[in-house]
Amino acid sequence: MTGTDRAAAPPTEDSAGRPKLPTLIGAACRSCFAVVLAVVLALVLIRLRGFAPVPTMLAGLSYAVGDLPSVARTLAWGLPLLVAALGVAQGFRGGMFNIGAEGQVYLGALAAAVVGAYVGPLLSGLHLLLCLAAAALAGGAIAGGLGWLRAHWGVDEVLSTLLSNYLLILLCAYLANGPLRDPTRQSGSTRTVHDTAMFPVILPRTELTAGLFLVVGLAGFAWWLSERSVAGYRWRMTGASPGFAAAVGFDVARGRIACMAVSGALCGLGGALLVMTSQGRFWTEIGTGIGWDAVLLALVGRARPVGVILWAAGYCVMRASARGVEQATGIPAELSSVLIAVIIIAAAARNGMFALATDRLRRWGAPLAGSGR
Amino acid sequence: MTAVEAFLASGVRFSTPILLAALGCLPTRWTRDLNVGLEGAMLFGAFSGVVTGYHFGSAAAAVLATAVIGAAAGLGFGALITRLRASAFVVGTALNVLAAGATVYLLRSWFGVKGAFSSPQIPALPTLELGFLARIPLLGPVLSGQTPLTYASWLLVGFVAWASRHSVLVRHLKASGEHPEALRVAGGNVTRARILAQVWCFALCGLAGVQLSLGQLTLFTEGMTSGLGFVALAVVIFCRGSALLLTGMSAAFGLTSALSVRLDSSVLPSQFAQMLPYLVAFVGLVVLSRRSRAPETRMLTPTLED
Repeated sequence: MTGTDRAAAPPTEDSAGRPKLPTLIGAACRSCFAVVLAVVLALVLIRLRGFAPVPTMLAGLSYAVGDLPSVARTLAWGLPLLVAALGVAQGFRGGMFNIGAEGQVYLGALAAAVVGAYVGPLLSGLHLLLCLAAAALAGGAIAGGLGWLRAHWGVDEVLSTLLSNYLLILLCAYLANGPLRDPTRQSGSTRTVHDTAMFPVILPRTELTAGLFLVVGLAGFAWWLSERSVAGYRWRMTGASPGFAAAVGFDVARGRIACMAVSGALCGLGGALLVMTSQGRFWTEIGTGIGWDAVLLALVGRARPVGVILWAAGYCVMRASARGVEQATGIPAELSSVLIAVIIIAAAARNGMFALATDRLRRWGAPLAGSGR
Repeated sequence: MTAVEAFLASGVRFSTPILLAALGCLPTRWTRDLNVGLEGAMLFGAFSGVVTGYHFGSAAAAVLATAVIGAAAGLGFGALITRLRASAFVVGTALNVLAAGATVYLLRSWFGVKGAFSSPQIPALPTLELGFLARIPLLGPVLSGQTPLTYASWLLVGFVAWASRHSVLVRHLKASGEHPEALRVAGGNVTRARILAQVWCFALCGLAGVQLSLGQLTLFTEGMTSGLGFVALAVVIFCRGSALLLTGMSAAFGLTSALSVRLDSSVLPSQFAQMLPYLVAFVGLVVLSRRSRAPETRMLTPTLED
């Protein structure tokens, strides 16, 4: 069905099976391969800019996780991204490639900011809940709608979510510059939300808020939903083999819509967290790039919640370190986007690389044995 | 020049990068490795055009260098998805993020500027005045006064349309997508065909980027492709493999973009005007999928079970 299936088809590799490095070290090697490559690349890039690589990197790391406030800052930054990444992964798991996370994050942020600013002030808990519900509804409705188009009209969700990004971001920009604009500010920004719509800070003098508890809860929920629940099982079946799922009596269309809706709702919640934990309002570049980062994290974590959480944690440290490096040396913090992209590419090529390497090794070992090619 | 003529001329200017990128992407569709990294490749192309133009001081050198760099990148991408069996979807998606990050990184490292880079040393692509052709009413400004890359893109349309009917190479490309075993049995080289498609794709995306950064403007701004690559991707998916349909759709998107720039903000807020190309693509996608029963509009996505 896909390019990868066919790419895996050449007879030599099939008969030889999956490349096997027999030892535990081999397995560890494989999973660390991409990370090691990224670290080496980072060291080289820092060296190229004329700084001592290892001390610079350590300085960056200590900026990211050196002490409690640093850890809190890194963590606080990563919370919205993690929720969005879990959302994208949820969709991937059900075979729905929701790469419209960027737009859904924006819409969720706008919805939360509007409810936060125009409703209330209310009892804090209730207000938080309302904002979150609005964001989840907004993101879920968009993604669910695109899921419906896919399920009933066969509209490819990859392209439709991709295009929806631009439509939604421009719509939000219009609203923030037009009807919802805060007249006291210059640029496209909505009114500041009421204090009751902001998560309280739980670690004094840091940016870490009670949003952490929500994210832990959402992460647990996402894991349960995709790995343990009946609905998640059906979505997985639908994703892996729609024909089989339909044959055993699952409602494929409904599964696809629900899976997309949950995915979009989580992305929307990620946007809400942006507003409710730090920014306090919506502005036109509030979440630039978060949606794409989320897609990459879902891809590299193979859409498993645990994998996504681990990679998201790693990426947050990486990103905070890059910022620390920038402060110390002036090396642009975009270093972290370069590295994550390289990690993804290396991880995608990893199995092929090892297959090629073991193939070569085998040929050197027994020159006549492996001449199937 | 009347308003209509100016509108048509700017429509052609806007459609050139879309047309070049879509023409580049078409063979990757034939080989079933649809390159979703068009956006990133174009952004790299735009950046490379500005940097090499700044360095060599010549637009021709910038075009040539970018095409070569693009071809080399295509070789790498092709090797990744064939020899190393990486998923084209994953690598393409990563490429988009890589381009957004790397161009900013390099811009700040090399030129120390954020946001945009412009300099009088950056050469602009010349526009060719075609003498008597320019005086034809209505069509004159469309045919004349375009950049060499625009004319090149028209020649390429003819070439691709001819090649897709009459050349063995294109049959090999299509066979390597539709039935790789058959091609292998017939003595063709599937890997080489797939890599070749990517080389072509990246070289043309590079040119599309140069047209953006040196043809329409003479500067580089962060994220200056702003979704044009995805519009080109939509064109490739809609065109069902036909070069002529592809050209028509690129022109339609170019005209829509021109319209969105020209619309006065009192008629339509600028954000809605900017939405137009994406809206057209979205509606087109829905209509097309609704009308065709075949799952032909499905993009190729990876299986994540590994």
